[in-house]
Amino acid sequence: MIAALLLLLVQAQGVGPDSVRFDHAKHAKLFPSCVGCHTGAARAGAPLYPDSAACAACHDGTVERRVHYVPPPDSLRTNLRFSHLAHQARAPQAQCVTCHQEADTDWMAVRLPVVRRCLDCHGIRTAHLEAPDTACATCHYPLASATRLTRSDIAGFPEPPSHRTQGFADGAHGRLAEAGAPVAASCATCHSRNFCLECHVDAPERPAIQALAEDPRGAAIAVTLHAPGSHADPDFLRVHGAASRLPAATCATCHTRQSCLTCHVATPAVAQALPAAGPGRGTGAIVTRRPPPWHTAAFTRHHAPTAATAAQTCAGCHTRSDCLECHRPDAAGAGAYHPAGFLAQHPAAAYARESSCNTCHNPGQFCVSCHKSAGLVASGTLGAGYHDANRFFLLGHGVAARQSLETCTSCHVERDCLTCHSALGGRRFDPHGPGFDAARLLKKNPEVCTACHGTAIPTQ
Amino acid sequence: MTRAVLVLVLALAAAPAGLGAQGYRLRLDLRGQAVSYRGVALDSILASDTVSGVGGGPVTPDGIAAQCVPDEPYCSFFRPGPTQRSDPLSTTADLTAWGFGISGLSLHVLARGGADLGDAAVSWPGTTPALQLLEGYAEYAQPRYLIRLGRQTQAAPIGFTGFDGASATARDARLGLEATGYVGWGLADASALPVTSAALNPLDDFQPVERQLVAGAAAGFRSAHFDLRWSYERQVDRRSDYFVSERTRVDAALRPLPGWSVTASGMYDLAQALWGNVDLRLAWQARSDRVDASVGVSRYRPDFDLWTIWGAFSPTAYRSVDGSLDLVPWRGFSVHLTGQAYQYDPTGADAPLVDVQSSGWRFGWDGSYALSGRWTLDAGYHAEFGPGASSRGFTGGAAYAAGGHVNLSAHAGTLDRPLEFRLDDASVWMFGGTVDYRPAGRWSVSADATRYVESRKRPDTAGFDWNQLRLSARVSLFFGSEVRPGGVPAAVESMPEAPR
Repeated sequence: MIAALLLLLVQAQGVGPDSVRFDHAKHAKLFPSCVGCHTGAARAGAPLYPDSAACAACHDGTVERRVHYVPPPDSLRTNLRFSHLAHQARAPQAQCVTCHQEADTDWMAVRLPVVRRCLDCHGIRTAHLEAPDTACATCHYPLASATRLTRSDIAGFPEPPSHRTQGFADGAHGRLAEAGAPVAASCATCHSRNFCLECHVDAPERPAIQALAEDPRGAAIAVTLHAPGSHADPDFLRVHGAASRLPAATCATCHTRQSCLTCHVATPAVAQALPAAGPGRGTGAIVTRRPPPWHTAAFTRHHAPTAATAAQTCAGCHTRSDCLECHRPDAAGAGAYHPAGFLAQHPAAAYARESSCNTCHNPGQFCVSCHKSAGLVASGTLGAGYHDANRFFLLGHGVAARQSLETCTSCHVERDCLTCHSALGGRRFDPHGPGFDAARLLKKNPEVCTACHGTAIPTQ
Repeated sequence: MTRAVLVLVLALAAAPAGLGAQGYRLRLDLRGQAVSYRGVALDSILASDTVSGVGGGPVTPDGIAAQCVPDEPYCSFFRPGPTQRSDPLSTTADLTAWGFGISGLSLHVLARGGADLGDAAVSWPGTTPALQLLEGYAEYAQPRYLIRLGRQTQAAPIGFTGFDGASATARDARLGLEATGYVGWGLADASALPVTSAALNPLDDFQPVERQLVAGAAAGFRSAHFDLRWSYERQVDRRSDYFVSERTRVDAALRPLPGWSVTASGMYDLAQALWGNVDLRLAWQARSDRVDASVGVSRYRPDFDLWTIWGAFSPTAYRSVDGSLDLVPWRGFSVHLTGQAYQYDPTGADAPLVDVQSSGWRFGWDGSYALSGRWTLDAGYHAEFGPGASSRGFTGGAAYAAGGHVNLSAHAGTLDRPLEFRLDDASVWMFGGTVDYRPAGRWSVSADATRYVESRKRPDTAGFDWNQLRLSARVSLFFGSEVRPGGVPAAVESMPEAPR
């Protein structure tokens, strides 16, 4: 009976491209017992399968046609912890047909033993893949010991229903594995340490993983690392720093330092709590650096308060060079801040202070030098007629000047204005407007006052 | 400054091999452009030689409007200036080195070299002097404090202040507290040069004879829902001991609910007892990331240092309200809308002869549509109307990811640019293409060619057409002791594990 079981296994797996399969039912009237052919099932050291000479006794080309039969190897591609002799010794009442034949069927109507039969005899009342953790080792070797299994065999392992339950991939599988210290035997049945390394960066720190044997074939079982639910929160990117410092943080399960440093180039210290990638650790999550959702087009224009109050947050991803790229631009290079063709557009942007030009551009170095080359600076007597949209512009330029004084200074210097606006000469036009605090200015820097007033500075 | 760069380079070169840094990163950006520009040239003519133009005013015999002052023998006018050519080249080097035997010690250098190979008569902005040290400092960083010594930029909310000196920052990450102080000899605003540099004074205006002394402090608090930072900075003229500027600013950010944020900032000019820029903004972002909206009110007032007289001319502020909306109606398609209206404060300088607008507004939209993984289309429109100058125009483009790390794009645009203070309305068409090659390694290269077709439209003959082809190219090179181009230094890889 036991021999029949193995025979069926051979049939299921095939015995070679040129070998015939043995049809048990067809030979039912010839063989009164199983062990006549499968002697290894009853006697230690004997082969489990008959050799081809046994077939040739009848299939000699005269009595029966010749057949080409090659017996399968005794050691099969299986992880079954099974011995016919041991079973026979412990259950002498068991017959081959107990496992290899359905009840009330004809002699030699053999079949593969159903797993249910094994479970029943061993007192396991659950479905095969729902057997208790301690039960797997009853019938199965750990994966690393089942050396004849190929990667494709392992890849085809059925997935237990427990692995499909919600939360199993997140943390439940770890609790299950660690429940059977050092590691649950059920894990070792199908998995090796290499399977865990598909995800677990913290493998060296996990006793349960270390308890599994190393076997590259274990990686044949496909697994995809999914981000846990917490990562789907839109605010996760903003708060993940604080969350990572919590005692219960499990970042190191999936992340190496490289995850942090993909973005936190400027602040490598943040990665110190995580392990560096290396042998014995999984690759873990592959992080892609991307702008956070709140870095919208509007954010570019209005990032100042955010950058001011939480500069450390910016420093998580940005270096100082990033800031200086715009805030102290390389005038000789292609600007990164303004759109293409901005040179033609810049008068309007400058007049209306779409952004504060002087934050990034020194007027003398940047504006005046270029305007001088273009003949735009005031180089002689005022009133030459450059502002020719209104021929009286010089006489009524006060509003324009106070509204856009920064723009004026890109072409005019102080002496242009002092031609008229000085108490020391010219037309002595008062330049001070609403809100001018003469006393305050006098206290802070009276040299400003002396430019127009000399030493006779009025106190009001 | 040039000497400082040379000293730094020599010091690095002379460092004994045994003290060689265990790690370094160096990024070199090489950029070159070929451009031309054309302005105006002031000229004069005898008043008796002018003729009457279409509108009755004086014009030159060749039709250019002239400005004549009664009883003056000469009239002045601006004729089209010559076309000038610039070929600016620049190289920016960003170097970080560490591993000098002291944990936490590193050296940072950001320097730039530039030259204009075009017409000798002109100089592209920023190319003089030829070598500029933007930053060069030694940093000692520990989890609870950070010290920098050397040329550095303090990115304080008040502004980007460059100086040669020292800064120190202490922080308690657990409590979210941070405090910073800095002092040094200042650099000019928005420049890597001291205020005494001749390159900052092309018109020979008044210029300080000594660099200013800069001192500042800031303190901040961060938490999950609320951030607050106070900043203060003063700059003092070392020769006279008077203030150049003295400003303080407060920034705050509140995040009461997921997706909602309120930010506010306000700056006060202590030297002139005037409020500066103020901003209050409410922003909301949908959890789906498909909608992002913000509205804000702000006030803008320019700042001038007190060694100029500009502050005494009482520049007025404007107040504005603005809003923006980002929509992603469906995957791959995004739209951005923005608008702003502003109104200047009363200037107290109204004159009957000249009418100047005191308010303006701007509006714009742009959209992007990813046709596939390779094609992306962009289009946009902007319009703005305000005192001084206005503009409006369309832009559009298509980008194609050709594979093999090659990206190609074509772009086109139109622009109309009416000027309020000058009869010079420009109409510009531009179209061009860009090729970008970024192999996943240590270098990248890109090149752009754009054709500009510009017409300066005037009622007189001073208008001109000015068409040109602008070329630019950029090569970026990355060097480092670490193999990985992603920028993870070897020293980081070997950092000790934190106790578990």
